[in-house]
Amino acid sequence: MQSGIESPVFDKFAQVSASIMNPAIEAWKQQGGKVLGYTCSFVPEEIFVAAGLMPFRIRGTGSKSAGMADDYFEAANICSFVRHCFSQVLSGEYSFLDGAVIGGGCDANRHIFDNWKKSPVKTPFLHRIFYPHHSGELMAAYFRNQLSELKTGLEQHFGMQLTDQKLWEAIRFCNEIRDLQKELYALRKAEHPPISGSETVAVILAGCSMPKAQYRADLKALLDELRGAQVPANEYKARIMIVGPGHDDTSICDIVEDLGGVVATDLTCFGGKIIFGEVAESGPDPLQAIADYQVLNRPFCPKNLGAHPFINKEIFGRIKDYKLDGIIGQTFLCCETWSGELYILNKELKEAGVPMLRIEREYASDSSGQLQTRIQAFIETLSGGAL
Amino acid sequence: MINVFSQLKQEANMGLFQLTLDPQNASKGPLVMGNGDFFIEIPAAFGCSFSDLTLTGANGTALPNAAELIDKGTELGVGSRLCNAIKVACYYLEAGLLRTPDMIMTSNSCCDSMDTLGNLMNAYKPWAHVPKFKMDAPHSFDDESYGYFGKQLRQAVSFMEEVAGRKMDWARLREVCVESNKQRQLLLEFQELKKAVPCPAEPDLARQGTEYATWTLDRVSPKVTHWLEQLVGATEQRVKEGKGIDGVNEKVRFLWQDLAGSWASGTVLARLQKELGAVCVMDYVSYATWTPIDLSSEPAMFTSFGKRFLLEDAMNRQALHTTDLFCEDILRIVKDFRCDAVIMPAHIGHRDTNSRLKLVRDMCRQKGIPCLVLGMDIWDKRYMTPEVAFDRISTFFQTTGLL
Repeated sequence: MQSGIESPVFDKFAQVSASIMNPAIEAWKQQGGKVLGYTCSFVPEEIFVAAGLMPFRIRGTGSKSAGMADDYFEAANICSFVRHCFSQVLSGEYSFLDGAVIGGGCDANRHIFDNWKKSPVKTPFLHRIFYPHHSGELMAAYFRNQLSELKTGLEQHFGMQLTDQKLWEAIRFCNEIRDLQKELYALRKAEHPPISGSETVAVILAGCSMPKAQYRADLKALLDELRGAQVPANEYKARIMIVGPGHDDTSICDIVEDLGGVVATDLTCFGGKIIFGEVAESGPDPLQAIADYQVLNRPFCPKNLGAHPFINKEIFGRIKDYKLDGIIGQTFLCCETWSGELYILNKELKEAGVPMLRIEREYASDSSGQLQTRIQAFIETLSGGAL
Repeated sequence: MINVFSQLKQEANMGLFQLTLDPQNASKGPLVMGNGDFFIEIPAAFGCSFSDLTLTGANGTALPNAAELIDKGTELGVGSRLCNAIKVACYYLEAGLLRTPDMIMTSNSCCDSMDTLGNLMNAYKPWAHVPKFKMDAPHSFDDESYGYFGKQLRQAVSFMEEVAGRKMDWARLREVCVESNKQRQLLLEFQELKKAVPCPAEPDLARQGTEYATWTLDRVSPKVTHWLEQLVGATEQRVKEGKGIDGVNEKVRFLWQDLAGSWASGTVLARLQKELGAVCVMDYVSYATWTPIDLSSEPAMFTSFGKRFLLEDAMNRQALHTTDLFCEDILRIVKDFRCDAVIMPAHIGHRDTNSRLKLVRDMCRQKGIPCLVLGMDIWDKRYMTPEVAFDRISTFFQTTGLL
């Protein structure tokens, strides 16, 4: 059930999110702007922004086959999301990048760095950082040192100086964008949200795919439109939340909403996870502030051994806030960290009487018919319809 | 006369049997349970049993009812492609078959599947009251990382003291470390002896020795030291006599760059050795790179614990770090142990290995080292049967002219 937004601003977001290269990047590059790609949501955009670089979150959009990457990553045993993303790198879709920072969240993801470095794709700046697998002061300090190395690497490669002042400004700027995105999410708490789940995914994806200042301005404009929008009171069957890893396309939301459900919110690596909380805007050390945010305040990656209570709390909070009827936990085959997390969540949701559908799928596969059948049955169950 | 190697093998097997479910549950005294390896000198000195649930699961796959256990783990729905050793461990946990530990120590070492098990252990409701400690093993190996992990191990000691209500006996910890250093030195000596051509002793003894000395309840005890001394003594004698493995006409030496798992050594590797004279002179658990624990001060000791855990623990070394390190080790082993070929079992549950196969293949091709990638399940022989694995490897040796 699409809201049917008629807005040139939204159309721009939809266009930007539907492909990798987009007109906004072309314009940015023509003005001499540099673009830095990254994987994983814990890689801090704040540092890129402070350096005057445009962050671009690497995704697999448009990939029809992971064939090129399958040489590097064994197809049967490695998550298809990672393979499709890397396939897009190998096929030249990311040739516009001036560099990339690989965030080593999971085992497959961190190996993108080694494989990229040895591949024929010669990207001028390649760096990696690792997300700590537990949250504590010691881990935040260790992560801060990694950010410091990244900062030094960027300064040396791009020939500039990343002062604390620039970093604090970037932190405030990125917090402001997060606040706008939170407002967008909050609009979906309404009984009849002015924007659908699929459309929200498109807006959020655009946020890590175009110049940030332009995105901020466009998002403000979209919110102005949505706040005053007259929303038809269309009936729907159930309010759903999507939980899981890289959700860089609208396919699951599209299925849910085409079948009469509403994706009211999500906790995914490209969505609800990235807009959570905010980085402290003052203090002795901006890098420590960023590290504390990622490691202590926002540990939503199940690769972190302390993540589950945070994920659980956030989901149960949203069940209430967004008046959810059910949860769809979707993950990719071979993503054992999320599979395990969804297994634990399923047990807890069951105890609480909250229905959950778990889906293990391949990225960009032809199995949408199967998904549709399972999701349809789930929605019918939630709405009390006949199966 | 009883062959000393057979006797040693039998002793080690009895030690390793302790790692299966029933003996683990029957262990006495305080129990620390982990989702993977821990720095075993610490619980040993503290007078605790340590149970690595991954190993308990892995050993479950060696039992006669392995297939049933794996299927029960699969039916849980923790992840259809989860490593089968972990699936069995998850089943033991979720079915309530494990003794309740007194403490739980989890870390991300060394793979995503083990993380998943750690998450399940930490969220397991019947154990909600059990005190828990979590650690972050970084994917880097430098002084900063060793110090970082060493500090976490020091915090782990404080945690254990708080939970148990008693203090660590530091003199005892030093004694344990001295014993541990002695054992690691013996493993290194055995490794040196294995470089001889023909290979003087069953290669599997190195893996068993490492596992016996690292993971069993007898760990870092004089009993294991004595076992290792006997192993080195008997192997030295063989080298002096220029003898190879009894009944083996050594023709090919190869590296098995993965865990041996629960079934390959007794089936595929044993057949290759006996029928074709193809000897697996090294595998990645056996490859020892130990350095002594520095006992000069407490911080130095913990930093060297960090190094031992991150860089020298066999599986952490191969799974946590860069492909460069992985490839360097392959080249060094091939050179030092005069290997004719590299077999990459590429266990289906090892995301790290499955993410670096092209780079390994390319390197081997460039260096002229024959390399075969299998893509098998080292815990479940239904995925690729021993007969198929044997056939593929023997065909590979024939087509590359090694046989």
